[in-house]
Amino acid sequence: MPENKMMKDKQPMIRIDNLHKVFGRDLHVLRGIDLEVKSGEVVVILGPSGSGKSTLLRCINFLEEPTAGSIEVDGVAISAGERGKERDAHILQIRKKAGMCFQSFNLFPHMTAIENIIEGPVTVLGRSRKESIPYAEELLEWVGLTDKRDEHPSRLSGGQQQRVAIARSLAMKPKVMLFDEPTSALDPELVGEVVDVMERLADEGMTIIAVTHEMHFAGDVADRVFIMDDGNWIEEGPPEEIFTNPKHSRSRQFLAHILK
Amino acid sequence: MNDLANTTPDTIPPEAKLVLDRIDQDRRRFKVNLVIAFAVLLVGLFAAMVIIGLDFKFMFNWLGFIMTGIGYTLLVSFLAIALACILAVIGALGRLSSNPIANSLATGYVSLIRGTPLLVQVYMWYLALPQVGMALEEMGIQGVQRLFTLPAIPAGVLALGVCYGAYMTETVRAGIQSIKIGQTEAAKALGMTPRQTLRRVIFPQALRVIIPPVSNEFIAMIKDSSLVSLMGVWELSYRAIKIGRRYFQSLEMLVMVAMIYWVMCIILQYIQERIENHMARGDRRVS
Ligand SMILES: Nc1ncnc2c1ncn2[C@@H]1O[C@H](COP(=O)(O)OP(=O)(O)OP(=O)(O)O)[C@@H](O)[C@H]1O
Ligand SMILES: [Mg+2]
Repeated sequence: MPENKMMKDKQPMIRIDNLHKVFGRDLHVLRGIDLEVKSGEVVVILGPSGSGKSTLLRCINFLEEPTAGSIEVDGVAISAGERGKERDAHILQIRKKAGMCFQSFNLFPHMTAIENIIEGPVTVLGRSRKESIPYAEELLEWVGLTDKRDEHPSRLSGGQQQRVAIARSLAMKPKVMLFDEPTSALDPELVGEVVDVMERLADEGMTIIAVTHEMHFAGDVADRVFIMDDGNWIEEGPPEEIFTNPKHSRSRQFLAHILK
Repeated sequence: MNDLANTTPDTIPPEAKLVLDRIDQDRRRFKVNLVIAFAVLLVGLFAAMVIIGLDFKFMFNWLGFIMTGIGYTLLVSFLAIALACILAVIGALGRLSSNPIANSLATGYVSLIRGTPLLVQVYMWYLALPQVGMALEEMGIQGVQRLFTLPAIPAGVLALGVCYGAYMTETVRAGIQSIKIGQTEAAKALGMTPRQTLRRVIFPQALRVIIPPVSNEFIAMIKDSSLVSLMGVWELSYRAIKIGRRYFQSLEMLVMVAMIYWVMCIILQYIQERIENHMARGDRRVS
Protein backbone atom coordinates (compact mmCIF):
# COMPACT_ATOMS: atom_id res chain seq x y z
CA MET A 1 0.00 0.00 0.00
CA PRO A 2 1.39 3.40 -0.95
CA GLU A 3 0.19 4.90 2.35
CA ASN A 4 2.75 2.83 4.18
CA LYS A 5 5.64 5.09 3.32
CA MET A 6 4.37 7.92 5.49
CA MET A 7 3.35 5.75 8.40
CA LYS A 8 6.88 6.08 9.63
CA ASP A 9 6.73 9.89 9.60
CA LYS A 10 4.28 10.14 12.42
CA GLN A 11 0.87 9.05 13.60
CA PRO A 12 -1.62 9.91 10.86
CA MET A 13 -4.20 12.58 11.62
CA ILE A 14 -6.89 10.46 10.02
CA ARG A 15 -6.88 6.73 9.62
CA ILE A 16 -9.76 4.97 7.90
CA ASP A 17 -9.63 1.23 7.85
CA ASN A 18 -11.71 -1.02 5.63
CA LEU A 19 -14.75 1.27 5.75
CA HIS A 20 -18.03 -0.04 4.40
CA LYS A 21 -21.31 1.78 4.17
CA VAL A 22 -24.54 0.05 3.24
CA PHE A 23 -27.73 2.09 2.86
CA GLY A 24 -30.91 0.16 3.50
CA ARG A 25 -30.12 -3.52 3.32
CA ASP A 26 -28.22 -3.79 0.08
CA LEU A 27 -27.12 -0.44 -1.34
CA HIS A 28 -23.39 -1.02 -0.88
CA VAL A 29 -21.99 2.49 -1.33
CA LEU A 30 -18.54 2.30 0.27
CA ARG A 31 -16.76 -0.99 -0.31
CA GLY A 32 -13.80 -1.22 1.98
CA ILE A 33 -12.15 2.19 1.87
CA ASP A 34 -8.69 2.67 3.41
CA LEU A 35 -7.23 6.13 3.84
CA GLU A 36 -4.51 7.66 5.92
CA VAL A 37 -3.92 11.39 6.00
CA LYS A 38 -1.06 12.84 7.96
CA SER A 39 -1.03 16.15 9.73
CA GLY A 40 -0.87 19.12 7.39
CA GLU A 41 -1.59 17.07 4.31
CA VAL A 42 -4.11 18.19 1.67
CA VAL A 43 -6.07 15.40 0.03
CA VAL A 44 -8.52 15.89 -2.82
CA ILE A 45 -11.10 13.25 -3.67
CA LEU A 46 -12.52 13.07 -7.18
CA GLY A 47 -14.98 10.71 -8.74
CA PRO A 48 -18.19 10.43 -10.71
CA SER A 49 -21.52 11.41 -9.21
CA GLY A 50 -22.89 8.75 -6.90
CA SER A 51 -19.53 7.07 -6.37
CA GLY A 52 -19.70 7.68 -2.60
CA LYS A 53 -17.47 10.72 -2.01
CA SER A 54 -19.93 12.59 0.19
CA THR A 55 -20.79 9.44 2.06
CA LEU A 56 -17.12 8.90 2.88
CA LEU A 57 -16.68 12.45 4.21
CA ARG A 58 -19.90 12.17 6.21
CA CYS A 59 -18.73 8.91 7.75
CA ILE A 60 -15.58 10.60 9.02
CA ASN A 61 -17.58 12.85 11.35
CA PHE A 62 -20.36 10.31 11.79
CA LEU A 63 -23.11 12.23 10.05
CA GLU A 64 -23.47 8.81 8.46
CA GLU A 65 -23.13 5.68 10.51
CA PRO A 66 -20.39 3.42 9.05
CA THR A 67 -21.59 -0.12 8.56
CA ALA A 68 -18.19 -1.76 8.99
CA GLY A 69 -14.61 -0.73 9.53
CA SER A 70 -13.05 1.88 11.78
CA ILE A 71 -12.28 5.57 11.78
CA GLU A 72 -9.65 7.39 13.77
CA VAL A 73 -9.29 11.16 13.95
CA ASP A 74 -6.35 12.59 15.87
CA GLY A 75 -6.10 9.62 18.17
CA VAL A 76 -9.83 9.15 18.78
CA ALA A 77 -10.86 5.83 17.25
CA ILE A 78 -14.33 4.41 16.72
CA SER A 79 -15.20 1.09 15.16
CA ALA A 80 -18.50 0.47 13.40
CA GLY A 81 -20.87 -1.50 15.54
CA GLU A 82 -19.74 -0.01 18.84
CA ARG A 83 -22.53 1.33 20.99
CA GLY A 84 -23.04 3.20 24.19
CA LYS A 85 -22.19 6.39 26.05
CA GLU A 86 -18.47 6.18 25.51
CA ARG A 87 -18.90 5.96 21.77
CA ASP A 88 -21.28 8.95 21.73
CA ALA A 89 -18.65 10.93 23.63
CA HIS A 90 -16.02 9.88 21.10
CA ILE A 91 -18.23 11.04 18.25
CA LEU A 92 -18.54 14.47 19.83
CA GLN A 93 -14.76 14.56 20.28
CA ILE A 94 -14.22 13.73 16.63
CA ARG A 95 -16.72 16.37 15.54
CA LYS A 96 -14.86 18.98 17.56
CA LYS A 97 -11.62 17.98 15.85
CA ALA A 98 -13.06 17.81 12.32
CA GLY A 99 -14.76 20.87 10.87
CA MET A 100 -17.05 20.38 7.90
CA CYS A 101 -18.09 22.65 5.05
CA PHE A 102 -21.18 21.76 3.10
CA GLN A 103 -22.12 22.35 -0.49
CA SER A 104 -25.20 24.28 0.69
CA PHE A 105 -23.36 26.30 3.39
CA ASN A 106 -26.00 25.58 6.06
CA LEU A 107 -25.39 28.77 7.99
CA PHE A 108 -27.87 29.36 10.79
CA PRO A 109 -30.27 31.89 9.20
CA HIS A 110 -31.51 33.31 12.51
CA MET A 111 -28.02 34.41 13.51
CA THR A 112 -25.76 37.12 12.13
CA ALA A 113 -22.35 36.27 10.68
CA ILE A 114 -20.55 36.86 13.96
CA GLU A 115 -23.19 34.94 15.92
CA ASN A 116 -22.80 32.00 13.56
CA ILE A 117 -19.08 31.99 14.18
CA ILE A 118 -19.22 32.13 17.97
CA GLU A 119 -22.03 29.56 18.15
CA GLY A 120 -19.66 26.60 18.33
CA PRO A 121 -17.33 28.02 20.99
CA VAL A 122 -20.25 29.28 23.10
CA THR A 123 -22.62 26.32 22.89
CA VAL A 124 -20.22 23.42 22.41
CA LEU A 125 -17.13 24.58 24.26
CA GLY A 126 -19.01 26.55 26.90
CA ARG A 127 -17.08 29.80 26.43
CA SER A 128 -18.69 33.15 27.12
CA ARG A 129 -19.81 35.27 24.18
CA LYS A 130 -17.43 38.01 25.20
CA GLU A 131 -14.31 35.88 25.21
CA SER A 132 -15.31 34.23 21.90
CA ILE A 133 -15.80 37.42 19.95
CA PRO A 134 -12.19 38.58 19.43
CA TYR A 135 -11.14 35.33 17.73
CA ALA A 136 -14.38 35.29 15.72
CA GLU A 137 -13.60 38.80 14.49
CA GLU A 138 -10.11 37.73 13.61
CA LEU A 139 -11.55 34.87 11.54
CA LEU A 140 -14.00 37.21 9.83
CA GLU A 141 -11.13 39.43 8.87
CA TRP A 142 -9.16 36.41 7.70
CA VAL A 143 -11.95 35.45 5.31
CA GLY A 144 -12.30 39.10 4.31
CA LEU A 145 -15.76 39.80 5.66
CA THR A 146 -15.21 42.21 8.52
CA ASP A 147 -17.82 44.54 7.04
CA LYS A 148 -20.47 41.80 7.09
CA ARG A 149 -20.05 41.13 10.80
CA ASP A 150 -23.67 41.86 11.73
CA GLU A 151 -25.46 40.73 8.59
CA HIS A 152 -27.79 37.77 8.51
CA PRO A 153 -26.91 35.05 5.96
CA SER A 154 -29.88 35.94 3.74
CA ARG A 155 -28.12 39.20 2.90
CA LEU A 156 -24.84 37.57 1.90
CA SER A 157 -23.86 36.21 -1.49
CA GLY A 158 -23.21 32.48 -1.80
CA GLY A 159 -19.46 33.01 -1.73
CA GLN A 160 -19.71 35.18 1.35
CA GLN A 161 -21.94 32.63 3.06
CA GLN A 162 -19.47 29.86 2.36
CA ARG A 163 -16.63 31.96 3.76
CA VAL A 164 -18.60 32.62 6.94
CA ALA A 165 -19.32 28.89 7.12
CA ILE A 166 -15.60 28.18 6.90
CA ALA A 167 -14.94 30.72 9.66
CA ARG A 168 -17.67 29.08 11.75
CA SER A 169 -15.87 25.74 11.48
CA LEU A 170 -12.48 27.27 12.16
CA ALA A 171 -13.77 28.90 15.35
CA MET A 172 -13.70 25.43 16.90
CA LYS A 173 -9.95 25.27 16.16
CA PRO A 174 -10.32 21.97 14.30
CA LYS A 175 -7.42 19.68 13.47
CA VAL A 176 -8.92 18.69 10.13
CA MET A 177 -11.25 20.37 7.65
CA LEU A 178 -13.61 18.35 5.50
CA PHE A 179 -14.93 20.10 2.40
CA ASP A 180 -17.80 18.57 0.44
CA GLU A 181 -17.99 20.38 -2.91
CA PRO A 182 -17.83 23.79 -1.24
CA THR A 183 -18.00 25.67 -4.51
CA SER A 184 -20.42 23.68 -6.62
CA ALA A 185 -23.48 25.67 -5.49
CA LEU A 186 -21.78 28.94 -6.39
CA ASP A 187 -21.99 31.14 -9.45
CA PRO A 188 -18.71 30.81 -11.38
CA GLU A 189 -17.52 34.31 -10.48
CA LEU A 190 -17.81 33.53 -6.76
CA VAL A 191 -15.84 30.28 -6.82
CA GLY A 192 -12.48 32.03 -6.69
CA GLU A 193 -12.99 33.75 -3.34
CA VAL A 194 -13.82 30.46 -1.63
CA VAL A 195 -11.00 28.49 -3.26
CA ASP A 196 -8.68 31.30 -2.23
CA VAL A 197 -9.66 30.86 1.42
CA MET A 198 -9.15 27.10 1.14
CA GLU A 199 -5.70 27.64 -0.33
CA ARG A 200 -4.66 29.96 2.46
CA LEU A 201 -5.93 27.42 4.94
CA ALA A 202 -3.74 24.79 3.29
CA ASP A 203 -0.77 27.19 3.37
CA GLU A 204 -1.23 27.60 7.09
CA GLY A 205 -0.79 23.88 7.52
CA MET A 206 -4.37 22.72 8.02
CA THR A 207 -5.06 19.08 7.30
CA ILE A 208 -7.68 19.05 4.57
CA ILE A 209 -9.79 16.44 2.86
CA ALA A 210 -11.73 18.05 0.04
CA VAL A 211 -14.19 16.70 -2.44
CA THR A 212 -13.97 19.27 -5.19
CA HIS A 213 -13.83 19.46 -8.92
CA GLU A 214 -11.84 22.70 -8.80
CA MET A 215 -8.94 21.47 -10.87
CA HIS A 216 -6.73 24.34 -9.86
CA PHE A 217 -7.06 23.39 -6.18
CA ALA A 218 -6.58 19.70 -6.93
CA GLY A 219 -3.60 20.34 -9.18
CA ASP A 220 -1.68 23.04 -7.30
CA VAL A 221 -2.63 22.64 -3.67
CA ALA A 222 -3.32 18.96 -3.10
CA ASP A 223 -0.52 16.71 -1.91
CA ARG A 224 -2.40 13.65 -3.05
CA VAL A 225 -5.43 13.05 -5.23
CA PHE A 226 -7.74 10.06 -4.92
CA ILE A 227 -10.28 8.94 -7.48
CA MET A 228 -13.25 6.99 -6.26
CA ASP A 229 -15.50 4.82 -8.35
CA ASP A 230 -18.31 2.66 -7.05
CA GLY A 231 -17.12 2.93 -3.48
CA ASN A 232 -13.51 1.98 -4.15
CA TRP A 233 -10.31 3.91 -4.82
CA ILE A 234 -9.31 3.37 -8.39
CA GLU A 235 -6.42 5.81 -8.40
CA GLU A 236 -4.29 7.62 -5.87
CA GLY A 237 -1.10 9.63 -5.98
CA PRO A 238 0.37 13.10 -6.36
CA PRO A 239 -1.75 15.28 -8.66
CA GLU A 240 0.83 15.62 -11.43
CA GLU A 241 0.98 11.85 -11.72
CA ILE A 242 -2.78 11.34 -11.58
CA PHE A 243 -3.59 14.01 -14.12
CA THR A 244 -0.85 13.21 -16.61
CA ASN A 245 -0.67 9.49 -16.30
CA PRO A 246 -3.73 7.79 -14.87
CA LYS A 247 -3.40 4.03 -14.68
CA HIS A 248 -7.01 2.96 -14.76
CA SER A 249 -9.12 3.28 -17.88
CA ARG A 250 -12.11 4.40 -15.77
CA SER A 251 -10.09 7.25 -14.31
CA ARG A 252 -8.87 8.27 -17.76
CA GLN A 253 -12.50 8.47 -18.88
CA PHE A 254 -13.49 10.40 -15.81
CA LEU A 255 -10.59 12.86 -16.04
CA ALA A 256 -11.18 13.39 -19.74
CA HIS A 257 -14.76 14.22 -18.83
CA ILE A 258 -14.03 16.79 -16.12
CA LEU A 259 -10.96 18.33 -17.73
CA LYS A 260 -12.86 18.54 -21.02
CA MET B 1 -24.84 60.93 -26.73
CA ASN B 2 -21.62 59.51 -25.40
CA ASP B 3 -20.92 62.58 -23.31
CA LEU B 4 -24.29 62.44 -21.72
CA ALA B 5 -23.84 58.82 -20.76
CA ASN B 6 -20.47 59.58 -19.22
CA THR B 7 -21.37 62.65 -17.20
CA THR B 8 -24.63 61.31 -15.86
CA PRO B 9 -24.09 57.60 -15.44
CA ASP B 10 -26.33 57.27 -12.42
CA THR B 11 -29.32 59.51 -13.07
CA ILE B 12 -32.70 57.89 -13.26
CA PRO B 13 -34.32 59.08 -16.51
CA PRO B 14 -37.33 61.42 -16.09
CA GLU B 15 -39.78 59.00 -17.67
CA ALA B 16 -38.79 56.42 -15.04
CA LYS B 17 -39.53 58.99 -12.33
CA LEU B 18 -43.06 59.18 -13.67
CA VAL B 19 -43.45 55.43 -13.36
CA LEU B 20 -42.09 55.46 -9.81
CA ASP B 21 -44.45 58.29 -8.89
CA ARG B 22 -47.37 56.35 -10.25
CA ILE B 23 -46.40 53.28 -8.20
CA ASP B 24 -46.28 55.43 -5.06
CA GLN B 25 -49.59 57.02 -5.93
CA ASP B 26 -51.25 53.65 -6.49
CA ARG B 27 -49.96 52.40 -3.18
CA ARG B 28 -51.30 55.45 -1.36
CA ARG B 29 -54.63 55.24 -3.15
CA PHE B 30 -54.96 51.59 -2.14
CA LYS B 31 -54.44 52.48 1.52
CA VAL B 32 -56.96 55.31 1.40
CA ASN B 33 -59.52 53.12 -0.36
CA LEU B 34 -59.02 50.40 2.19
CA VAL B 35 -59.71 52.77 5.07
CA ILE B 36 -62.79 54.12 3.28
CA ALA B 37 -64.09 50.61 2.66
CA PHE B 38 -63.71 49.68 6.31
CA ALA B 39 -65.38 52.91 7.42
CA VAL B 40 -68.34 52.26 5.12
CA LEU B 41 -68.60 48.74 6.46
CA LEU B 42 -68.63 49.93 10.05
CA VAL B 43 -71.19 52.63 9.35
CA GLY B 44 -73.33 50.06 7.56
CA LEU B 45 -73.10 47.73 10.53
CA PHE B 46 -74.07 50.49 12.89
CA ALA B 47 -76.94 51.57 10.65
CA ALA B 48 -78.21 48.02 10.60
CA MET B 49 -78.22 47.99 14.37
CA VAL B 50 -80.19 51.21 14.45
CA ILE B 51 -82.67 49.97 11.87
CA ILE B 52 -83.47 46.77 13.71
CA GLY B 53 -84.07 48.98 16.71
CA LEU B 54 -81.43 47.88 19.17
CA ASP B 55 -81.87 49.35 22.61
CA PHE B 56 -78.53 51.11 22.96
CA LYS B 57 -79.35 52.51 26.37
CA PHE B 58 -79.99 49.03 27.70
CA MET B 59 -76.72 47.88 26.20
CA PHE B 60 -74.80 50.75 27.71
CA ASN B 61 -76.29 50.15 31.15
CA TRP B 62 -75.15 46.57 31.24
CA LEU B 63 -71.80 47.15 29.55
CA GLY B 64 -69.89 47.36 32.83
CA PHE B 65 -71.41 44.18 34.20
CA ILE B 66 -70.67 42.21 31.05
CA MET B 67 -67.15 43.60 30.77
CA THR B 68 -66.22 42.29 34.22
CA GLY B 69 -66.52 38.85 32.64
CA ILE B 70 -63.52 39.66 30.43
CA GLY B 71 -61.28 38.97 33.40
CA TYR B 72 -62.39 35.33 33.53
CA THR B 73 -62.21 34.96 29.78
CA LEU B 74 -58.66 36.27 29.63
CA LEU B 75 -57.56 34.36 32.74
CA VAL B 76 -58.82 31.06 31.41
CA SER B 77 -57.48 31.71 27.90
CA PHE B 78 -54.00 32.75 28.97
CA LEU B 79 -53.54 29.90 31.42
CA ALA B 80 -54.92 27.41 28.92
CA ILE B 81 -52.74 28.62 26.06
CA ALA B 82 -49.67 28.50 28.32
CA LEU B 83 -50.51 24.91 29.25
CA ALA B 84 -51.21 24.10 25.60
CA CYS B 85 -47.83 25.47 24.51
CA ILE B 86 -45.98 23.34 27.05
CA LEU B 87 -47.96 20.24 26.12
CA ALA B 88 -47.45 20.97 22.43
CA VAL B 89 -43.66 21.11 22.74
CA ILE B 90 -43.54 17.94 24.83
CA GLY B 91 -46.04 16.28 22.50
CA ALA B 92 -44.10 17.26 19.38
CA LEU B 93 -40.84 15.93 20.82
CA GLY B 94 -42.69 12.74 21.69
CA ARG B 95 -44.13 12.43 18.20
CA LEU B 96 -40.65 12.81 16.73
CA SER B 97 -38.97 10.63 19.33
CA SER B 98 -37.48 7.27 18.50
CA ASN B 99 -38.35 6.08 21.99
CA PRO B 100 -41.39 3.81 21.53
CA ILE B 101 -43.02 4.75 24.84
CA ALA B 102 -42.73 8.51 24.33
CA ASN B 103 -43.79 8.18 20.73
CA SER B 104 -46.88 6.07 21.39
CA LEU B 105 -47.94 8.22 24.35
CA ALA B 106 -47.76 11.38 22.27
CA THR B 107 -49.47 9.81 19.27
CA GLY B 108 -52.22 8.42 21.49
CA TYR B 109 -52.73 11.77 23.17
CA VAL B 110 -53.12 13.60 19.88
CA SER B 111 -55.39 10.96 18.42
CA LEU B 112 -57.68 10.70 21.45
CA ILE B 113 -58.06 14.42 22.05
CA ARG B 114 -58.52 15.35 18.42
CA GLY B 115 -60.99 12.53 18.03
CA THR B 116 -63.41 13.68 20.73
CA PRO B 117 -65.55 16.82 21.03
CA LEU B 118 -64.22 19.56 23.27
CA LEU B 119 -67.62 19.74 24.96
CA VAL B 120 -67.32 16.12 26.06
CA GLN B 121 -63.80 16.74 27.29
CA VAL B 122 -64.91 19.72 29.37
CA TYR B 123 -67.49 17.57 31.13
CA MET B 124 -64.93 14.80 31.54
CA TRP B 125 -62.64 17.05 33.55
CA TYR B 126 -65.43 18.61 35.53
CA LEU B 127 -67.93 15.81 36.14
CA ALA B 128 -66.33 12.48 35.26
CA LEU B 129 -62.98 12.98 36.95
CA PRO B 130 -64.46 13.13 40.50
CA GLN B 131 -66.13 9.81 39.77
CA VAL B 132 -62.76 8.32 38.86
CA GLY B 133 -61.48 9.71 42.15
CA MET B 134 -64.31 8.07 44.00
CA ALA B 135 -63.56 4.72 42.41
CA LEU B 136 -59.90 5.01 43.30
CA GLU B 137 -60.78 6.02 46.83
CA GLU B 138 -62.89 2.90 47.19
CA MET B 139 -59.87 0.91 46.08
CA GLY B 140 -58.13 2.35 49.12
CA ILE B 141 -56.14 5.34 47.87
CA GLN B 142 -56.82 8.15 50.34
CA GLY B 143 -57.65 11.69 49.32
CA VAL B 144 -57.85 11.20 45.54
CA GLN B 145 -61.45 12.12 45.31
CA ARG B 146 -60.82 15.58 46.69
CA LEU B 147 -57.83 15.96 44.42
CA PHE B 148 -59.86 14.93 41.39
CA THR B 149 -62.80 17.17 42.15
CA LEU B 150 -61.80 20.29 40.30
CA PRO B 151 -63.33 23.72 40.67
CA ALA B 152 -64.75 25.13 37.46
CA ILE B 153 -61.84 27.33 36.44
CA PRO B 154 -59.02 24.79 36.84
CA ALA B 155 -61.20 22.22 35.10
CA GLY B 156 -61.79 24.66 32.24
CA VAL B 157 -58.11 25.53 31.95
CA LEU B 158 -57.18 21.84 31.88
CA ALA B 159 -59.84 20.97 29.35
CA LEU B 160 -58.93 23.79 26.98
CA GLY B 161 -55.18 23.47 27.51
CA VAL B 162 -55.09 19.72 26.97
CA CYS B 163 -57.32 19.99 23.93
CA TYR B 164 -55.46 22.83 22.24
CA GLY B 165 -52.18 21.19 23.24
CA ALA B 166 -53.08 18.22 21.07
CA TYR B 167 -53.83 20.35 18.02
CA MET B 168 -50.75 22.46 18.60
CA THR B 169 -48.60 19.34 18.97
CA GLU B 170 -49.13 18.79 15.29
CA THR B 171 -48.36 22.44 14.52
CA VAL B 172 -45.11 22.31 16.48
CA ARG B 173 -44.15 18.98 14.95
CA ALA B 174 -44.71 20.35 11.46
CA GLY B 175 -42.71 23.45 12.40
CA ILE B 176 -39.78 21.38 13.60
CA GLN B 177 -39.92 19.17 10.53
CA SER B 178 -39.98 22.17 8.22
CA ILE B 179 -36.41 23.03 9.21
CA LYS B 180 -34.00 21.69 6.61
CA ILE B 181 -31.90 18.67 7.54
CA GLY B 182 -28.79 20.69 6.66
CA GLN B 183 -29.33 22.80 9.78
CA THR B 184 -29.23 19.76 12.02
CA GLU B 185 -26.19 18.46 10.19
CA ALA B 186 -24.33 21.75 10.52
CA ALA B 187 -25.08 21.79 14.25
CA LYS B 188 -23.98 18.18 14.66
CA ALA B 189 -20.83 18.79 12.67
CA LEU B 190 -19.93 21.58 15.10
CA GLY B 191 -20.19 19.03 17.90
CA MET B 192 -23.57 19.99 19.35
CA THR B 193 -25.56 17.39 21.26
CA PRO B 194 -29.12 16.69 20.09
CA ARG B 195 -30.43 18.82 22.94
CA GLN B 196 -28.20 21.77 22.05
CA THR B 197 -29.19 21.41 18.42
CA LEU B 198 -32.87 21.65 19.32
CA ARG B 199 -32.43 24.59 21.65
CA ARG B 200 -30.03 26.69 19.61
CA VAL B 201 -30.83 25.81 16.00
CA ILE B 202 -34.18 24.08 15.51
CA PHE B 203 -36.53 25.76 17.98
CA PRO B 204 -35.62 29.36 17.18
CA GLN B 205 -36.26 28.71 13.50
CA ALA B 206 -39.35 26.57 14.06
CA LEU B 207 -40.82 29.29 16.27
CA ARG B 208 -41.00 31.61 13.30
CA VAL B 209 -43.02 29.05 11.36
CA ILE B 210 -45.21 28.22 14.34
CA ILE B 211 -46.22 31.68 15.52
CA PRO B 212 -48.93 32.43 12.94
CA PRO B 213 -50.82 29.14 13.46
CA VAL B 214 -50.41 29.38 17.24
CA SER B 215 -51.83 32.90 17.23
CA ASN B 216 -54.71 31.49 15.25
CA GLU B 217 -55.27 28.85 17.93
CA PHE B 218 -55.13 31.49 20.60
CA ILE B 219 -57.77 33.57 18.88
CA ALA B 220 -59.96 30.48 18.61
CA MET B 221 -59.29 29.73 22.26
CA ILE B 222 -60.51 33.16 23.40
CA LYS B 223 -63.87 32.21 21.97
CA ASP B 224 -63.87 28.59 23.09
CA SER B 225 -63.15 29.77 26.62
CA SER B 226 -66.86 30.57 26.79
CA LEU B 227 -67.29 26.82 27.32
CA VAL B 228 -66.31 27.29 30.97
CA SER B 229 -69.69 28.94 31.39
CA LEU B 230 -71.05 25.39 31.17
CA MET B 231 -69.60 24.92 34.62
CA GLY B 232 -71.16 28.08 35.93
CA VAL B 233 -68.26 30.50 35.60
CA TRP B 234 -69.60 33.99 35.05
CA GLU B 235 -67.44 34.80 32.06
CA LEU B 236 -68.21 37.13 29.19
CA SER B 237 -70.75 35.25 27.13
CA TYR B 238 -72.46 33.68 30.14
CA ARG B 239 -73.20 37.11 31.55
CA ALA B 240 -74.53 38.36 28.26
CA ILE B 241 -76.81 35.38 27.78
CA LYS B 242 -78.09 35.54 31.36
CA ILE B 243 -78.93 39.23 31.20
CA GLY B 244 -80.40 38.94 27.73
CA ARG B 245 -82.73 36.19 28.83
CA ARG B 246 -83.75 37.89 32.02
CA TYR B 247 -84.87 41.10 30.26
CA PHE B 248 -85.93 39.52 27.00
CA GLN B 249 -83.32 41.51 25.13
CA SER B 250 -81.04 38.73 23.99
CA LEU B 251 -80.30 40.39 20.65
CA GLU B 252 -78.76 43.46 22.32
CA MET B 253 -76.66 41.36 24.64
CA LEU B 254 -75.49 38.97 21.94
CA VAL B 255 -74.53 41.78 19.59
CA MET B 256 -72.65 43.46 22.37
CA VAL B 257 -70.74 40.38 23.47
CA ALA B 258 -69.92 39.55 19.87
CA MET B 259 -68.44 43.03 19.46
CA ILE B 260 -66.39 42.64 22.61
CA TYR B 261 -64.93 39.32 21.40
CA TRP B 262 -64.25 40.85 18.05
CA VAL B 263 -62.34 43.78 19.51
CA MET B 264 -60.29 41.43 21.68
CA CYS B 265 -59.39 39.36 18.66
CA ILE B 266 -58.47 42.42 16.62
CA ILE B 267 -56.09 43.45 19.39
CA LEU B 268 -54.57 39.96 19.45
CA GLN B 269 -54.18 39.98 15.71
CA TYR B 270 -52.38 43.28 15.91
CA ILE B 271 -50.00 41.84 18.52
CA GLN B 272 -49.45 38.78 16.32
CA GLU B 273 -48.47 40.98 13.39
CA ARG B 274 -46.02 42.90 15.53
CA ILE B 275 -44.39 39.67 16.73
CA GLU B 276 -44.19 38.30 13.20
CA ASN B 277 -42.53 41.44 11.91
CA HIS B 278 -40.09 41.31 14.75
CA MET B 279 -39.23 37.66 14.09
CA ALA B 280 -38.85 38.20 10.35
CA ARG B 281 -35.96 40.64 10.73
CA GLY B 282 -33.34 38.06 9.76
CA ASP B 283 -34.88 36.89 6.54
CA ARG B 284 -35.78 39.99 4.69
CA ARG B 285 -33.53 41.28 2.02
CA VAL B 286 -35.07 44.71 2.01
CA SER B 287 -35.88 46.34 5.29
N1 LIG C 1 -29.20 8.79 3.09
C1 LIG C 1 -29.12 7.97 2.02
N2 LIG C 1 -29.98 6.94 1.89
C2 LIG C 1 -29.90 6.10 0.84
N3 LIG C 1 -29.00 6.22 -0.14
C3 LIG C 1 -28.10 7.21 -0.08
C4 LIG C 1 -28.12 8.14 1.00
N4 LIG C 1 -27.13 9.04 0.83
C5 LIG C 1 -26.52 8.67 -0.33
N5 LIG C 1 -27.10 7.59 -0.87
C6 LIG C 1 -26.68 6.91 -2.10
O1 LIG C 1 -25.31 6.59 -2.00
C7 LIG C 1 -24.67 6.75 -3.23
C8 LIG C 1 -23.46 7.64 -3.05
O2 LIG C 1 -23.88 8.93 -2.73
P1 LIG C 1 -22.87 10.11 -2.44
O3 LIG C 1 -23.69 11.30 -2.10
O4 LIG C 1 -21.86 9.68 -1.46
O5 LIG C 1 -22.19 10.29 -3.86
P2 LIG C 1 -21.18 11.41 -4.32
O6 LIG C 1 -19.97 10.69 -4.82
O7 LIG C 1 -20.98 12.41 -3.27
O8 LIG C 1 -21.93 12.02 -5.55
P3 LIG C 1 -22.05 13.55 -6.03
O9 LIG C 1 -20.83 13.84 -6.84
O10 LIG C 1 -23.29 13.55 -6.88
O11 LIG C 1 -22.18 14.40 -4.80
C9 LIG C 1 -25.71 7.28 -4.19
O12 LIG C 1 -26.18 6.21 -4.97
C10 LIG C 1 -26.79 7.81 -3.31
O13 LIG C 1 -28.04 7.66 -3.94
MG1 LIG D 1 -21.55 14.45 -2.99
